[in-house]
Amino acid sequence: MGNWRLFFLAAIVLAAAPLGLPLFAMTLLTEALILGLLAMSLDLMVGYTRMISFGHAAAYGLGAYTCGFLALHTAMPLPFSLLAAALLAGVVAIGVGWVCTMATGISFSMLTLAFAQLLYALAFKWTSVTGASDGLAGIPRRAGPFGMTVLETRNGYYYLVLASMLGGFALCRSLVNSPFGAVLRGIRENEAKTLSLGYNTRLYKISVVTISFALGGLAGALYAPFAGFANTDLLFWLFSGQVLIMVIVGGQGTLVGPILGAAFFMLVEHVLSAYTDAWALFFGLIFIGFVMFALEGIWRILTSRLPARSRA
Amino acid sequence: MALLELDNLTKRYGGLVAVNRVTMRVDVGEVRAVIGPNGAGKTSLFHLITGVVRATEGDVRFNGRSLNGLSPYRICQAGLSRTFQLTALFPEMTARENTRLSAQARLARRWQPYGGGSVFAEAARRGDEALERLGLTDVARRPAGLLSHGDQRLLEVAMALAQRPRILLLDEPTQGLSVEETLSAVETLSGLLADGQLTVLLVEHDMEVVFRLARKITVLHRGSVIADDVPEVVKADANVQAAYLGGYT
Repeated sequence: MGNWRLFFLAAIVLAAAPLGLPLFAMTLLTEALILGLLAMSLDLMVGYTRMISFGHAAAYGLGAYTCGFLALHTAMPLPFSLLAAALLAGVVAIGVGWVCTMATGISFSMLTLAFAQLLYALAFKWTSVTGASDGLAGIPRRAGPFGMTVLETRNGYYYLVLASMLGGFALCRSLVNSPFGAVLRGIRENEAKTLSLGYNTRLYKISVVTISFALGGLAGALYAPFAGFANTDLLFWLFSGQVLIMVIVGGQGTLVGPILGAAFFMLVEHVLSAYTDAWALFFGLIFIGFVMFALEGIWRILTSRLPARSRA
Repeated sequence: MALLELDNLTKRYGGLVAVNRVTMRVDVGEVRAVIGPNGAGKTSLFHLITGVVRATEGDVRFNGRSLNGLSPYRICQAGLSRTFQLTALFPEMTARENTRLSAQARLARRWQPYGGGSVFAEAARRGDEALERLGLTDVARRPAGLLSHGDQRLLEVAMALAQRPRILLLDEPTQGLSVEETLSAVETLSGLLADGQLTVLLVEHDMEVVFRLARKITVLHRGSVIADDVPEVVKADANVQAAYLGGYT
């Protein structure tokens, strides 16, 4: 119960943010929420099922390019483009999951990486659809259905992002606390045993990849009209690594943690890049510090300081 | 009535014959032990029955239906629950969560991706029942990884029991236990089997344990069956003594 109270409190604070924050901060916050949704979707695989994906940029890029393409070449209202992009990422993930779950452990990670790089190469070559190295530019925020124009405004778009993030969180939370989620924890701790108990573990793993990719695709789809472009950087392995870092720094297996991790990553990037071009070097040091001294991540550090009652 | 039948079951790894034309049956309500020295093919036999490895030849029938080619989860769903020679648990979950997750596998809504209060309640009820039968109620809320080795072995049996299996397959339930722990585990297990409601196939090399628990014994030697009878006859069998028992009486 305490958790849901915290959830509503956070929702209210975030909903009130446009009243108090300057424009540039709203832009940062919007992007942080989008990345938070992406990192949270990866947490389903990494934190809850111990499937370490090195290719989550694939979901993001797929969503961004799909939404961008639809916005540029069709008159589809934005919410439908978002859903179409999430759906496509999810459908592709069924195939990806089917192939990648033939392996486990580090081989699984390598297969996810290979798949993301495959999409990266495809985006470079398929000029007519992806614009090759230029990417898709000038992606508009199409007016919503029934002539709704609120999503075209900066704050309107922020609320769309916020609603997507909170909806995604509620969905993930319900999932990990369900019977399905209990099986995922079993796979995380001992997959062979889970299989021998009569669970078709492969099917569960493919399902997780699918849900994770669909939410990651939604995040990418939100990014394209927000930034106005989609390029191959969104599919690059470096970005997959950054998302994984957000999950680990924020606290894997907590859902909230990766959202904080994403915000922390953005904040550090924003502050450090004002002083030095080599900001990634310093972020690397921070990451090493987390892995060595605080592997539990930001969220667990914060909650361990709260009274026991509200932690339950 | 035969519940589990092995028919000419054979497993070859290249030139090595791990299991050689084993034919045996386990009747409903029977407690049968498979014994034999190390390398006799006992664990291989278990892996063949539970689908972890595929047979080179022969057939496993459960309730008249062939289990050949089925994957481990399907075989488990058919009603065969097993334990492992090396303890296999979910160490970070509590004992209670272990049995609950095990029992959940038998419920129709085990995969439900939302809510699940009633699924968890029913699974926990079955799990708690199993914990109680193995005397683990007192440690139910401790993480499984922190239990004593003896309790961990019994917890694995409780997990299998929580599935209400038609046959319980125990792979060396006292493996790695001290003498005292073995005595108390055997005490608990014989209490569990006393009412004759359970059908059990167990693999074991500790003779004390076997003679306390099993009503029927199959002796394996180098992958083949060399004796199959009640404990008294097996004990007296000259072949068995030569191959294995080493004068044990």
